[in-house]
Amino acid sequence: MKSLAQGHVKMALTALRANRSRSFLTMLGVIIGVASVITVVGIGEGVKHQVNSQINKLGKDVIAVRAHNVSASEGQGIGVLSDFTVTTPLPESDYATVAGSRGVNVAVPFAIAGGQVKGDQTPTGEVVIGTTDQMPDLLKQDMAFGVFFSSDESDAHVAVLGERAAIRLFNENVPLGRTLNFRGQDFIVRGVFDTFEATPFSGQVDFNDAIFIPYGVAQDITSHTAALYEVLTKPNDPKATDQTVASIRARLLKSHGGQEDFSVLKSDQSLAATNAILDLLTKLIGGIAAVSLLVGGVGIMNVMLVSVTERMREVGIRKAVGATNRQIFVQFLVEAAVLSFVGAIIGIVVAGFGNLIIRILTNLQPVITWQIVLLATGVSMVVGVIFGLIPAVKAARKAPIEAFRNE
Amino acid sequence: MALLEIQDVSKLYGFGDATTLALDEVNLIIEKGEFVAVMGPSGCGKSTLMNIMGLLDKPSHGSYKLDGRNTERISPNQAAKIRRDTIGFVFQQFNLLPKMTVLENVALPLTYKNMTLTKRLKMASNMLERVGMQSREYFLPGQLSGGQIQCAAIARALVNNPKLLIADEPTGNLDSAGSRLIMELMSEIHRMGNTIIFVTHNPELTRYATRVVYMHDGTVVQDEKTALGQVAPTARRAMYNVARLSEEEALAGVSAVMRAVPTKPAKRTLKPTKKVTTKRKTKTTTRKGARS
Repeated sequence: MKSLAQGHVKMALTALRANRSRSFLTMLGVIIGVASVITVVGIGEGVKHQVNSQINKLGKDVIAVRAHNVSASEGQGIGVLSDFTVTTPLPESDYATVAGSRGVNVAVPFAIAGGQVKGDQTPTGEVVIGTTDQMPDLLKQDMAFGVFFSSDESDAHVAVLGERAAIRLFNENVPLGRTLNFRGQDFIVRGVFDTFEATPFSGQVDFNDAIFIPYGVAQDITSHTAALYEVLTKPNDPKATDQTVASIRARLLKSHGGQEDFSVLKSDQSLAATNAILDLLTKLIGGIAAVSLLVGGVGIMNVMLVSVTERMREVGIRKAVGATNRQIFVQFLVEAAVLSFVGAIIGIVVAGFGNLIIRILTNLQPVITWQIVLLATGVSMVVGVIFGLIPAVKAARKAPIEAFRNE
Repeated sequence: MALLEIQDVSKLYGFGDATTLALDEVNLIIEKGEFVAVMGPSGCGKSTLMNIMGLLDKPSHGSYKLDGRNTERISPNQAAKIRRDTIGFVFQQFNLLPKMTVLENVALPLTYKNMTLTKRLKMASNMLERVGMQSREYFLPGQLSGGQIQCAAIARALVNNPKLLIADEPTGNLDSAGSRLIMELMSEIHRMGNTIIFVTHNPELTRYATRVVYMHDGTVVQDEKTALGQVAPTARRAMYNVARLSEEEALAGVSAVMRAVPTKPAKRTLKPTKKVTTKRKTKTTTRKGARS
């Protein structure tokens, strides 16, 4: 029996090799299906992985205070998406409130003041963020060149740039000591950040594009209208994160008059929300990709049916020399299975190349797990075999004499 | 015991008014070791008879015993196994699989016998050597001449060491050199003790046969023993007629060639007649309900 099975696979491979272009076209559906399923799920996994590692790098004890209420526990279905659509800034006073809460060690505000910024080049619209001196410590972010402003410089006109902002404004990597102009004020560039791998807790602003100035200065030059969109804090005792969250919430509730139009998130909570969205999206697109796998299966059936009709003479010859119906059936079924298997393998290779290209062209880092590879291969095999059944039965049932006559 | 025993076998095609009678109560017994030539105009049922003898087709009526076994009630699977183990086929169209090498083609019947690949290829190679084709083992059929392809087809038919070799117009697509090559090969196989039944339109080729069966309109009309190396008497008559063909007869084709053969069924005999009996003058009748 073993030798017969080997023979069938070998025979199937011979038959497929003999009709290279047709076999390839048949497999194309499966190739695209498998490749897209693996790539889409890989991207989803990769983004999740990136966000997770970012949070892990930050530490789990970072607490974010943000406008509007976002709760991961409500994060089911499409609601997760709509929760993120409204963002209104926090009142300026909230920074002091948060900083003064019990158990808070450091509090770092992030206030956005947009506007025209002029460096060497023509003025461009930039995101200017007012923050305090502890910011690099809290985010565990390194400087590429220069230093961040210190606590003494909270009123000084100094700026630190994200790496892309530096290039855009001054067309060079190290514009230390240069001057940029924002709202009629000159700022001296003190430092340039290393690449931010991802912007923590915020999808809106990429810190690589941002300009950082002292918080006090930002409020002064904007007449205290800079939008405070986030305050990041760290508790004194990492184990007491929950208590600190509670005390911050209590104080903010009091100052907001009992209206909970803000949210206090631990880093793992915000992670949960992000993961929920990513999972949903991955499932959605993965589902669409799976449909293309099914379409690939229909393609296999189609071509196998044509191939059976075309190869009736071969069926006749094989039967004449002693092939039983069962052997013919198995032959065509194995051919369909081999087609979809080879298609799946090529699909995996294509997905691998796609992965490489995505890594080169974007900052996404797709992760291909063996589970999804196995799943995609398995599903395509099952699809191939199921859709191979009908043509195989058709070939097997043909009486030998009819098979000869049917040309 | 006769190798092959056909009794009152009829074959009908179609339904109702469109029914055609391809075989009409044919009786034929073929002994082991015979080299039988079957002749007759196209559409006389030769191929249908070959298919029934080869278990590719089933008779509508009548019984067919192969090697003492009644084939009336066998399943398609059993028929496949008998084809595999007892019967070798050679076709006019050669019917080798074009995408496989000659060696793989010859090994094909063994594939269905659960044999290991090495053993299959070795046996196929031996068989190709026997038919003088060893140097062409790795050629594709498309790269060979007709005669060579047919040699390979014969090797394929013989690779299972069958008791019966059925050749349906094996020389039909070959030139005279190719025909001679194939016939010499078949007679050599016959000398080794195989039973061969072959269909031919060429009276000259009856030289190789030990017995000639003439068919017309689905019946056996003449059945005669012949000496090896001699054209059968009835066939010779047909052959000599060829020279005197008129233009219309040329258009009528093989039917005209066969006009020396009686069109009425011979007296039903289970044994072939020993004596040449045809004395009647016959003329070609129009074919009725004949099909290929």
